[in-house]
Amino acid sequence: MRLRSEHANQWMDVILYVGAMLLMLEWIYPLEQVTDTGNAQIFFIFVVYCFLLTLIYIPTWLTVILKLFGVFFVMHALFYDLPLLSLEWIGLVFEDIRGNIGELWGQNWDALTPSFRTLLFLVLLWMLSYLLYYWFVIVKRPFPFVLLTIVYITLLDTFTAMDGTNGIIRTFVISIIILGLANLHRIIDRERLNVPVLNSVTKWLAPILAVVIISAGIGYAAPKYDPQWPDPVPFLEGAAESSFGAGGGGAGTNRVGYGVNDEQLGGGFTADPTTVFYAEVNNSHYWKVETKDVYTGKGWVRSSDEYQYTGADANISGLEYYGESVEFNSRETTLKFENPGNLDKIPYLYGTIQIVPEGNVTHEYSSRTGELFSLFEGERVVASEPYYMYSDFPSFPQNAMREVPTSSETEQDSPYLNNPDSLPDRVGELAEEIVADVDDNRYDQAMAIEEYFENGDFVYETEDVPRPEEDEDYVDQFLFETQRGYCDNFSTSMVVLLRELDIPARWVKGFTGGESAPDQDALPDAGSNVYEIQNNNAHSWVEVYFDDVGWVPFEPTIGFSNEASISTGEDVDDLMDGETDDTLDASDESEAPEPDQGEETEDTDADDSTGVGSGSDGGLSILQWIGIVLVILVTTFVVLKYRMHIVRKYRERQLKRDRQLESFPKAYDTLIRALNKKGLYHESGQTLGEFAKKVDRRLGNGDMTKMTRIYERYVYREEDVRASHEEVVELWNKLMDKIFSERS
Amino acid sequence: MTQQMMNQQSKLDQLFENMERVMVGKRDAIELTLVALFAGGHVLLEDVPGVGKTMLVRALAKSLDLDFKRVQFTPDLLPSDVTGVSVYNQKNMEFEFRPGPIMGNIVLADEINRTSPKTQSALLESMEESHITVDGMTMALSRPFFVMATQNPIEYEGTYPLPEAQLDRFLLKLHMGYPAKQEEMVMLDRTSAGHPIDTLTSVMSKEELMERQRQVKEIHVSDSIKRYIVEIVSNTRKHSLIQLGASPRASIALMKAAQAYAYIQGRDYLLPDDVKYLAPHVLSHRLLLNSEAKFQGESAPSVLEDVIKKTVVPVERG
Repeated sequence: MRLRSEHANQWMDVILYVGAMLLMLEWIYPLEQVTDTGNAQIFFIFVVYCFLLTLIYIPTWLTVILKLFGVFFVMHALFYDLPLLSLEWIGLVFEDIRGNIGELWGQNWDALTPSFRTLLFLVLLWMLSYLLYYWFVIVKRPFPFVLLTIVYITLLDTFTAMDGTNGIIRTFVISIIILGLANLHRIIDRERLNVPVLNSVTKWLAPILAVVIISAGIGYAAPKYDPQWPDPVPFLEGAAESSFGAGGGGAGTNRVGYGVNDEQLGGGFTADPTTVFYAEVNNSHYWKVETKDVYTGKGWVRSSDEYQYTGADANISGLEYYGESVEFNSRETTLKFENPGNLDKIPYLYGTIQIVPEGNVTHEYSSRTGELFSLFEGERVVASEPYYMYSDFPSFPQNAMREVPTSSETEQDSPYLNNPDSLPDRVGELAEEIVADVDDNRYDQAMAIEEYFENGDFVYETEDVPRPEEDEDYVDQFLFETQRGYCDNFSTSMVVLLRELDIPARWVKGFTGGESAPDQDALPDAGSNVYEIQNNNAHSWVEVYFDDVGWVPFEPTIGFSNEASISTGEDVDDLMDGETDDTLDASDESEAPEPDQGEETEDTDADDSTGVGSGSDGGLSILQWIGIVLVILVTTFVVLKYRMHIVRKYRERQLKRDRQLESFPKAYDTLIRALNKKGLYHESGQTLGEFAKKVDRRLGNGDMTKMTRIYERYVYREEDVRASHEEVVELWNKLMDKIFSERS
Repeated sequence: MTQQMMNQQSKLDQLFENMERVMVGKRDAIELTLVALFAGGHVLLEDVPGVGKTMLVRALAKSLDLDFKRVQFTPDLLPSDVTGVSVYNQKNMEFEFRPGPIMGNIVLADEINRTSPKTQSALLESMEESHITVDGMTMALSRPFFVMATQNPIEYEGTYPLPEAQLDRFLLKLHMGYPAKQEEMVMLDRTSAGHPIDTLTSVMSKEELMERQRQVKEIHVSDSIKRYIVEIVSNTRKHSLIQLGASPRASIALMKAAQAYAYIQGRDYLLPDDVKYLAPHVLSHRLLLNSEAKFQGESAPSVLEDVIKKTVVPVERG
């Protein structure tokens, strides 16, 4: 009989441990998707290997050697070409580890090589395989890990592109079986059951399996509510200001920031909060850096590499040209570079006419490319001293723009009208379709194209953005296939669509207005109107040419708004500092998620000018959301902290009213629980009399013994103790008072 | 507490007082002896000679006004030396029964493990059945009938250890133990002017004792306590260090002893505390430990302590 039960115990251990392994694997699955880990299947195999080795009961030293060998083998398979365990191989590994330990010491986390990180990860997996053995098989407490796993999957599902639907079902099934078994095991241990356990395992497993199958089945099949709270992801992304910059080449995810090469657009990127520059400016404005005119089907280049750059000291009035109908507001700004990185050009506001650097610096610029360079001893540099800039910030007249005919036949516009031949016809057809019912003027048609992206089909997305295949067009892919992307996708598509309508348009790169940074140190003399522009603020948008007006910026990217001002005509004089009645972009209205948009549409609340507090109008804002969570947490805390007091009040009232003393056992039980909380534990093998004596010694009186005497008569003599009602109530209260006044 | 109970209690106090005059500092042993007496069971005293085993029994006999008999068990003792023998009376031309020491009310069977198993069983069987059969005649034993057997620790030479089946017939097994130094000095003082046992007077009649034995049976035992008793006893059968656990007879013995104990405490119902206190005394001589326990240096009381500690005390009705 013993043997059989031992046998069954072993089997239960095996099931528990295999469950642990399956849960562990649930941690590995998403790695490839949410991190830059490659070859997840190798880690997969390694985990299984470690768990199996622990499971077959072989001597510890042998498992250590075998697992070490496993680690080496994985490292070998992934990184080293040399023959496994050859002298050179060992030398290389040793060198690698030594170098990395040096980097670790110096806290240069970025400098760690992938091989070393992999080594650390493998060691971690190894440790976990043992830890889980301890948690699951030795102490039989699988709950913490089960909970962690569920939290892990739900978090990933919420905050990353990973879809945890199947993962959570698998985890649920495994968890319930594991928890059930562990509980069974504990019961057997506690009760020291000697029954033929194998039978009872099957008896136990049957209901567990039934529960699992039925509940998982119902859970899977039943209709589910849509999320009751807005998806927190767009908010968080907005907070991180994941606007983008045209990144350099290379595979996989890029880091956001200002790049020079835009020949290959596409692919996701990660946020980078490095500060590029600080600017003292009276309002948050877009910073223009350069424009590009030729769309290749994959990205942007310039029609010529040789432009005429105009040299200047401070006066750069020819940088931009505006027609007579344009009104201006003068601006003064100060710009100080913090961390320019790749950036060798000076960002400027629309309408900048003067730039005064400190020190011996001259400038050159091109109105063709919109580039503005600082020259120091003939070299293009960005000075570390502040730049003082003066701008005539333009306010574009709507009426004048409406008078411009849609199509341009001007020769000088031709570079801005060309689309590549490879562009699929359906792009042009789409452009025609969009403007079919729109007034035939350039402004309204451009606005129609800009607003087209707000039709609900398009999603702002920074991570899961594919690159076009060899035979695919970047714009075509975005407009018709993926419909998700970031500013490059939107701005390039708008330019291409406009050009299909013979509207001259070009692609602009720069930065959004950044976050207000009143506490910065870079511009000590500045007031509170200082903005911090990070790599995250790198952005691209569109300029459309209007005869007699100039190049007018448009903002097609959903969730962004350009502060460029459009004047409606008569009340031009009222326009102050660009806080206008009618901004170019209608994104303010578009921010509230449309109810029928479906949960897939991420409400990209990445409005740079408004920042964190803006929230969305529909549903609960993130602040309310946080508020609710806080209230729940506080309530939980209060209830947990004061639950004994609450229970006490309840029992006290119950006991007082209950002359029959039917609630006596419960009241007594409450007493014992309260004592437990004060560290006076009633052990299961302890009689109440013994316990009472212990309590009285601690509390310094004999009340607990008196109380217990009555309770003993109630329980063991099965006596009706209602005659002692008053005494019971009095003693109970006295004891509770004493317990609560005790410092635990 | 009712007047009657108060009365009883004062009688019991007198009894204790009486016996403590002779047995200095042995209140526990006295109490347990009374438990066995009131529960109608018998006591096995295991200890080295000279610690007052005999004195305890004699003091009890004198305090209760009972007929006290003593048998010194020796290897050559015959069953008939215990039970009595029929002798041919030449005058009457008849066989006459000469009762043996077993026909007393309180029988001290001294050094029971020094006699042969044959003689031992003559005593033990009569203890269980309350009558003896000699020469085809069945004779009831006197009432009350209380045997107090002493045995030297079994490690000593020249002993015939009592088999488990026989041991089971003793309600309790006691150890006297040496007195504390202080107590031993008091003993010296008291004996200097003649042995105090000679001054003892009876405080309880035979009838009164039997009435009390009857009352003990009426002590209330709730279901939860019964379950607790059964739980403890059955746990001895499952313990990994015990080869042979306690029998159902042990359960009954434990309940009876606990009832008597509660009675002595002046309570008319049983507490788990009673059971817990008495379990080692009632059960330790009924267990057979396995070799593992012996290797680990565990004794029956220490294993029992473990069993009791792990048995859940009922704290609710039912």
